[in-house]
Order: sequence, then C-alpha cells, then structure tokens
Amino acid sequence: MSIADQALTEDLASRDDMIVCTGVSKWFDDFQALKGVDVTVKDREVMVVLGPSGSGKSTLIRCINRLEVHQEGSIIVDGIELTNDTRNIERIRSEVGMVFQQFNLFPHLSVIDNITLAPVWVRKKSKVEAEQKAMELLERVGIPEQAQKYPGQLSGGQQQRVAIARSLAMEPKVMLFDEPTSALDPEMIAEVLDVMKDLARGGMTMMVVTHEMGFAREVADRLVFMESGEVVEVGTPEHFFTNPREERTKLFLSQIL
Amino acid sequence: MTDIAMTPQPPIATPKARTSPVQWVKANLFSSISNTIQTIVFTAITLGLMRALLGQVFAEDANWSSVATNLRLLMIYNYPADQIIRIWFSAGVVLFAAGLSLGAWKVEPGYTIGRLGRHLVGVGAFSLVLRLLLPVHAPGAIRTWLVIVGVVSLAIGLVVRRFDVSGDRVLGFGTVLGGFSVALLAVMWLVPFGQYGLVDGVLVAESGTTVASSTKVPWTILLIIVVVSHRVGVVLGRALGGSLRAALAAFWVVGPAFVIFVVLRDPAFDWSHVWSTDIPLAAMFALGGGAVIYLLAAPGRAELARGIGALMLVFALFNWIAAFFGWYPMLQKVRISFLIFAIVVLLVPAFAGDRSTRRRVAGGWVAAIAVLHWLITAINTESTLVITAPPFLGGFVLTVGIAYYVMLASFPLGVLLSLARTSKLPIFRVMSTGYIEVIRGVPLITVLFFFSIMLPLFLPKGMGISDLAAVFAGYTVFSAAYMAENVRGGLQSVRRGQYEAADALGLTTVQRTSLIVLPQALRVSIPNLVGQAIAVFKETSLIAIVGGFDLLRIANSTIPNQPDFLGQKRPGLLFISLVYFVFAYSMSKSSQRLEARLKDAQAR
Repeated sequence: MSIADQALTEDLASRDDMIVCTGVSKWFDDFQALKGVDVTVKDREVMVVLGPSGSGKSTLIRCINRLEVHQEGSIIVDGIELTNDTRNIERIRSEVGMVFQQFNLFPHLSVIDNITLAPVWVRKKSKVEAEQKAMELLERVGIPEQAQKYPGQLSGGQQQRVAIARSLAMEPKVMLFDEPTSALDPEMIAEVLDVMKDLARGGMTMMVVTHEMGFAREVADRLVFMESGEVVEVGTPEHFFTNPREERTKLFLSQIL
Repeated sequence: MTDIAMTPQPPIATPKARTSPVQWVKANLFSSISNTIQTIVFTAITLGLMRALLGQVFAEDANWSSVATNLRLLMIYNYPADQIIRIWFSAGVVLFAAGLSLGAWKVEPGYTIGRLGRHLVGVGAFSLVLRLLLPVHAPGAIRTWLVIVGVVSLAIGLVVRRFDVSGDRVLGFGTVLGGFSVALLAVMWLVPFGQYGLVDGVLVAESGTTVASSTKVPWTILLIIVVVSHRVGVVLGRALGGSLRAALAAFWVVGPAFVIFVVLRDPAFDWSHVWSTDIPLAAMFALGGGAVIYLLAAPGRAELARGIGALMLVFALFNWIAAFFGWYPMLQKVRISFLIFAIVVLLVPAFAGDRSTRRRVAGGWVAAIAVLHWLITAINTESTLVITAPPFLGGFVLTVGIAYYVMLASFPLGVLLSLARTSKLPIFRVMSTGYIEVIRGVPLITVLFFFSIMLPLFLPKGMGISDLAAVFAGYTVFSAAYMAENVRGGLQSVRRGQYEAADALGLTTVQRTSLIVLPQALRVSIPNLVGQAIAVFKETSLIAIVGGFDLLRIANSTIPNQPDFLGQKRPGLLFISLVYFVFAYSMSKSSQRLEARLKDAQAR
C-alpha cells in the first residue's frame, strides 16, 4: 500500500459513517441478487461500484433508498435504519438523492417544475424560494436557459443534468447514481460526468454505479467490485488499477479496460 | 462548463406544394382503373343514401311543423312559459362562463383562411348536390335557398382561395366566433322560417315571417354575450392567469347546479329557518372545521391529523348506520358534512405547508362548506314554480344536465376505482374489481331500474330520493365503472421509472399519485374518456324508460300524441338525431384538439 493510499484510508476511518450495509441479502423469487453484502460509505466519500451486468450493483444502491426491499441484513443511512416504518423510509428518501439510467424526468412538467416539485411538496418550501434555488442549480449544471422547456425538448445529456439538479434541490446528504451515463450518446457523456466531478469536489457523499473507468480512476475515493451478488474486493483506485488482489477482479478489469 | 449538447431546433416551415384541384382529383380519385371504379361505385352509393335520407326528410306525410311548433317542448319541456326568463338567464350565465373559459384557456383552433376557403367551397358544393338530389315534392323555398347558399358560399370560398395564396394565415378564435355568430344572426333575422307555436293547446302557424322576436332577441343577446365574454376572458386571463382559471374551474363544478336548483327551480326559502338553523350550522362547520384543518395542516402534525381523522371517520360511519336503524335523529346535512370533514382531516397531511398554504387550505374548506350547505338547502326546499306536467326538467335541458353531472361525478369516482384496482392492497383491489366487473356485466337499464325502484326501499327512514336523483345516481354508478377501466389503461401506460423517481424524491403515495401518475395517465386516457362522455350523453335517452321526459321520449311519444300531429314521429326523430350528432361530434373534435395541444406543449 502506497503512502497516499495509507493517508486516505486513515482519513476515511476518521470520518462518520454515512451508509452502512451489513449482511444485506435480497431475493427475486428464487434468484438471490445480493448475498450478504457488507459495504460502508463514509461522509463525503465517493464510492464507485463496479461489476459485470447482473452482479447486483444496481440492486444494492436501489436497496439503499428502498426502491427495492432487502430481506436480510441491515442498512443504516445517516444513523437511520431502513425498516418497514414508512416515516423512516420517507426521511431517508428525502435525504438521499437518486439519479437513474433512464433520467425519469416527469414529462408533463417543465424543467423548472420538475426541480421545484419535491422542495415545495416534501420540504414545504415556498414556490419563490424553490424557484430561486432551482435556477441556481440549473446554473450549476450549465443549462439555465432551458428552465421553461419540457423534458421531451431536451437532449439526453441535458435531461440527465436536469435530473441531477432535481435531486440536488432536496439538498440531499447522499447522492446515488445508477449508471447515469449508460443511456447517453457518447458525445453527451462528458457533460454529465463533468457535473458529477464538480459535485464530488464539492464534498458530496456519492455512490456511483458506472462503467466509466476514467471517472472511477479520477474521482473515486474507493471502488467496490461486485460479482454475482457478492462484494469481491474493496480498495482505492490506485490499488484497483495497479495490482488488484482477486483473480475475478483482474479478469473483469482486463475485459473492460 | 460549456453547453456542448445541441438544442433541438424548431422545424423550419416549408411552404407546402400546392396542387390544383384537378391534379388532386387525378392523383387521388382516378389514378388507376380500379381506383376509378371504386370512386364511381362509392360515389353512387353515397349519393343513393343521401337521396334516400332526403326522401325521408321531405316525405309527403312528414309534417315538419311538428318539430317547429314543439321546439320549446323539445328544449325545456313543460317549463312554465311565464318564467321562461329564468331559462334565458341560465343560458346566459352558462354561455358567459363558457366564453370566459375559452378566452382564459386561450383555446385556439388554429383555423386558417385557407381552411375557411376550403370549408366554404365544400359547403357550397354540398348545397348544390343536395339541390340536385331533392325529391320532386320538396318545397320550392328549400330549392331556392339551397341554390342561394350554394352559389354564394362557393363564390366566396373560391375568391378566398384565389387571393389568399399562402393559405396559412391564422384566424383568431375571437374572429371565428364573431363571424359564426354574425352568420347565425343574419340567418335568424333574415330567413323567413315562419312562426309556429302551441298557445294554450291551439296551433298557431304563420309562415313567411322570420322567427318570433321572443326567440330572436334573446338569442342575439346570448351570442353577443359569448363573443364579448370570450374577449373579456382573453384580457382577464392575461391579467389574472391562474386565479381566473381556478375560479372558472370551480364555477364549472357548482355553477350548473346553481343554475338548475336555484335559478330554474326557484326554491321558496323559509328565511326564519334559514337564519335559525341552516346558517348557524354551516357557520359552525365552516369556521370550526376550518380552524381544525388550519391547526392540523402544520408541518409535523401529520400523525395527529391521521389519528383524529380516523377516529372521526369511524364516528361518521357510525352516524350513517344509526340513521339506517333510526337510533337517533340527526339532520342529513350534518351527517354528510361530518363525513366529508372526517375524510378531509384524513387527507390534510398531504396539503401541509407554511402559513399561507394552510390559510388557503382552510379557506378552500370554508368555501366548499358554504356552497355545499347552500346547495343542500336549496335542493331540500320546495319550488315556487307551478308546473302543469310534473317533472320540471325535461327535453334538451334534462339531457344536457344529467349528462353533464353524470360525467362530473363519475369521473372522480372512476379515477378512485381505477386507483383501487391497481393498488397494492388486496382488499381495495378485490372490492374495486368486483364493483367494476359486476357493473360492466349488467345492462344499463337494469341499473337504472334498480336505482329508481329498488333503491328507495333500502334508504333510511325519512330519507327519500327523487326520480331525477335516482336516475343520476344510477347513471353515475354505471358510468364510473367504465371510466375506471379507461383510466386504468392510462395508469398502465405510466412507466415504472416515474413511480421510482417520485419515490426517490420522498413524495408520499398521495402526492405521487396526484402530481405525477394521474396527470400522465389522464392525458393518455383522453380519447377513451371522451368516448365514454359521448356514450353517457347519448345513453341519457334511457331516462325515458324510468319516467323522465328527455329528447327521445318527447320526439317519440309526446309529439305524435298531440291532436295536431298525430303519428308524426319521423321529423322529430330526425331532428333529435341531428341534435345528438352535433353535440357528440363537437365533443369528439374538441378532444382531438385537446390532445394535439397537450402533445404540442410537451413536444414528445
């Protein structure tokens, strides 16, 4: 382990836990998608989740804001445990932002209404205040001039940036990204990744499922490699891309790089 | 960061290549031998059918003065003639609101000068073809008028088409409305339709004059109201925006009921009772309830509100059970208000917010209670009208009134049923599926019979239901099942990702449904919902079977029994067919326009 890695590991250990998954298991009928996953994401950490398709990485981050229900183990987000209690679920969801592969913007609402909807209805902010904040966020993701348009009128990259702004409008403590660039045309990937890098530099806690190795290398504090529902290896980018420990990790990286 | 993504550009309007009519005919009707044969055969069939229809219309034994004389009967049935100003006033109120709404929502049919030209040419050509197909014994005046209309509109149409080369200059809706009104008024004031009427059962017929001024003058005023209110709506809509539209939406829910129960029915209020009981009761519910809602809508009081709401709901339901067994007396108004209050308190957490939001929610409650209590009081008060043949509503007014309120009531019911049917909770799903399948498996007439004959037997003591209310309830129950299925189709088209995005943002289930899922589902369901609305409109003709006097019953049995028009069914039936068609067709047209407009807005 290099000195830089050592320092990072110590720094991370000193921070608070943001997401703690302990022995998380999940079945879809007979198929076990998660097999006792243990992952801890620290405050202000960027964690990238890697793995072949069907390895359970999307399922894992979807469990964290209860879009999927895990059947065994525990998930604790910012000190609140996810149980069937609706109040806990609502609290966690309003503190955890999520960006989807398919953007999932609301097509019947204009861009600005997409962004202000949750702050107004969930956070009970005033319309004016929410709109001010929304314009700031659109500024930050670089498309303030699209505020009055509808999602159907925007390109994929613009839509995904609006989706990020929509999540940020709730001032979340954690952002989850579920393959945010996989549905985009190649020329639009960079603009979305730029926004995400910006966010990471600003100290946002992020958990990102992606196949963008450049992004993982540049931005991630730690990477997790998953395969068939298990965590195979956790480590810093340097560790991963220079000398991964496990054979399966090596094989995957050789295929994808 | 730079915006490297390209912004979709609006398509550049390319001028359409104009083909001459001769070219068009060659390309579309006579392009090949088989096409030519098809064109000739189907033209012959169409002309034959039109000829047959005209033969019916101008049959020697068809006495059209049976319709002309009974127009009032067909429109308003036996509404007292000396009170007819109430009808005109009601029509004025409704048309005023309609004009305002069209203006406020900026309805623009996108009617171009080119289309006007084409339509005029079409009308002209059609009139001339009709003239050629007229049976020999058709009245001479009809021939003359058909030729006049045909030649004039053909000429104007051709001139318009000749001089408006681009053909895409848009005529504003105000212009179209104004032009249409002027044309209608010109016809009414200039064409000698003659005057017909039954005065105290005696037929008065005077041909060769224009329409009676007791018809002409009110219609002129009504049309002026529409045109002016549309203009006012456009101007006010710009100034007030959303609040005007909200007020108009509220009017369309309660306004027609106001017209029917207060203006047309003219309740004889017992003012001492109103002051001693009705108003204090309404005030108690409005102010007390408003205060409770204001307090419970504060953020963080959701649990408290749900608890109190649940307790109140149990008590409210108990009240109804008590009413059924007659355990203790209680005003129906109180039972209804309390039930609604309980439901609203249960839903309050969804509307929680800061002070101004809470004030608005409480204000909405006060307004709703005021309207509700006033309506219930008006409905339960005797009418001052002296009506010779009992149902005070009949004819076209009845058809439209029932159809409108059945649609209004069955729509939310249908939405709730469809949500229940797609719900995760098995009890809701089973109940709603059972309801929908049972109703859809039963003929409408059976449901109507059940409600008009059986329902009164099941009601609590001292609670009656008028025939009209029974019919209304039956139709609503029936139509809601079909509405539910239409909305379910829309619900299924909303993608899973929309639910997930709403969940991920922390919206509650009620918010997710009302803000995200339903708006999208309803948009998709518009064609089917309008289809259902048209079906409801036409099926109101079944009111006749349970004792109502709707258009069909008047045309089919009332008119043919009048001594002057014994056995005259045909003209009446043809006439009401035309009325049904005009309304059903305009509904279907407007739904197409609404769809196009929503699609435009989203550019999906």
